[in-house]
Amino acid sequence: MGEWFEQNGALLGLALLDGIASAALIFMVAVGLNLVFGVLRVLNVAHGSFFAIGGYMAASIGLLMTAVGLPPWASFAALLLAAVVTGAILGPLIERFLLRRVYAEESVLQLLVTFALFMILEDLQKIVWGVQPVSFGGPVALMGTVDVPFAGDVIPYNAYQVILLPVVALLTLGGLAWFLRRTLAGRVIVAVTLDREAATAMGIDAGRVFLLTFTFGAVLAALGGALSAPTASLVPGVGASTIVLSFAVVATAGLGQIEGAALTALMIGIGRSVAVTFEPELEVVVPYLIMVAVLLLRPQGLFGVPETRRI
Amino acid sequence: MLELRAVAADIAGAPVLRGVSMHLPPGGLVALIGRNGAGKTTTLRAIMGLLPLRGGQVLLGGEEVTGVPAHHRARLGVGYAPEERRLFGPFSVRQNLLLPAEVLRLPAAETARRLEAVFTFLPELATLADRRAAGLSGGQGKMVALGRALIVGTRAVLLDEPFQGLAPALAQRYADALRGLHAAFPRVALLVTESNPQLLEPLVDTTYVIERGEILTADAATAA
Repeated sequence: MGEWFEQNGALLGLALLDGIASAALIFMVAVGLNLVFGVLRVLNVAHGSFFAIGGYMAASIGLLMTAVGLPPWASFAALLLAAVVTGAILGPLIERFLLRRVYAEESVLQLLVTFALFMILEDLQKIVWGVQPVSFGGPVALMGTVDVPFAGDVIPYNAYQVILLPVVALLTLGGLAWFLRRTLAGRVIVAVTLDREAATAMGIDAGRVFLLTFTFGAVLAALGGALSAPTASLVPGVGASTIVLSFAVVATAGLGQIEGAALTALMIGIGRSVAVTFEPELEVVVPYLIMVAVLLLRPQGLFGVPETRRI
Repeated sequence: MLELRAVAADIAGAPVLRGVSMHLPPGGLVALIGRNGAGKTTTLRAIMGLLPLRGGQVLLGGEEVTGVPAHHRARLGVGYAPEERRLFGPFSVRQNLLLPAEVLRLPAAETARRLEAVFTFLPELATLADRRAAGLSGGQGKMVALGRALIVGTRAVLLDEPFQGLAPALAQRYADALRGLHAAFPRVALLVTESNPQLLEPLVDTTYVIERGEILTADAATAA
């Protein structure tokens, strides 16, 4: 063990840092997916498309800003702007004109509708941005690298991924927990999640809560995508792999769990990057191995509470 | 105060209400008696606008509210306590009681006045105020659900099978509360559903009997 560690310690440290960075992004998508499912009771297969489109949008806006000669720090504004534009346009359109028509339908039909939406968005994205990889490295270069001490080694790593991404994810986590527990709007969302009909009888406009929650979830996923743009080139299919990982995180954490989703994203993110580093052929299965192992022991998820039966 | 005229409604294509008409006078206590599946809960949900009507009208204070969206009915002063108490478990009792007042953006003075009225009427709620709703016993939960309906229901309060599942002593306490309700909230019209008529008979002004979605009889009790 000691010998292995001496040879591979730096690799392990690198894998951990990669894992933390990707966990931060997965969390942004999964937490929105979780919130949207809790409120709307619709599993949105197209949620990962917001991630992809947010990423492409960030690259486009960032490259445009550079082209017109805006200062380099403006590329950070490009990321935020891309997320808000993507979520605030697609979210309300999809909720109002598509999902609203299928709330009363069976979940199989809802799944088919959001799956169809996923395919439409995937093709739309190919029409707009093509199939060649798109990349936009501005913010990463701007932030430089930091030396991360790990087990006697020093690992130089880019500050964007090791500082900015985790900080944004933690701010999202803390902000969301605060919002849901301490503000009236947050309690209204929780109330609709728990019991839509009772909430309506209290005067809550559930339709409006659906619209705002869905849009908010879309913005979070798009922000995840926008933040990923500087570190990975965008290619067709990124939406699909993102939604699959997010499903794994939500299922493993348990529904309605925000802090749980953060910890699970960390488990799955690190599990995946450790696999990539040491046993690359296992990369694809590791998230599901973690998920299956957890669900075998706790079917309601790591942090979920068993749903009480309602007659 | 509250009137139903030939209300008809379907659930999943099957007729559940077939022309329900009833009248609740201000300050009246009206019972809706019927077996399980007779249409009691559906009648209350129809009044709250929680399901679409196939026909008929709902009037509140003489004005038609049939087309008013469900979430606006709380603002019109109709409070509803569903059968399963349906409290918001992670919230404290106080947060459960205040949620509708906050959602309706009532002025602070009005909110305080309503909360005070509920605490005076159901003193046990004041002592439970900081407890989480999920930790309450069945009987305590029913009291909180009644209190929450009273915060909203300045004109009418609908209680769905409030005695269901209550131990005899608690059922007695709940019946006492209902008896005192008229004195504490004199203008509120109260509609209570029940499958067991004995519990309600001594309290009510009018009893409607519902069967297969139709009102069979309406008896005005002499005690009124």
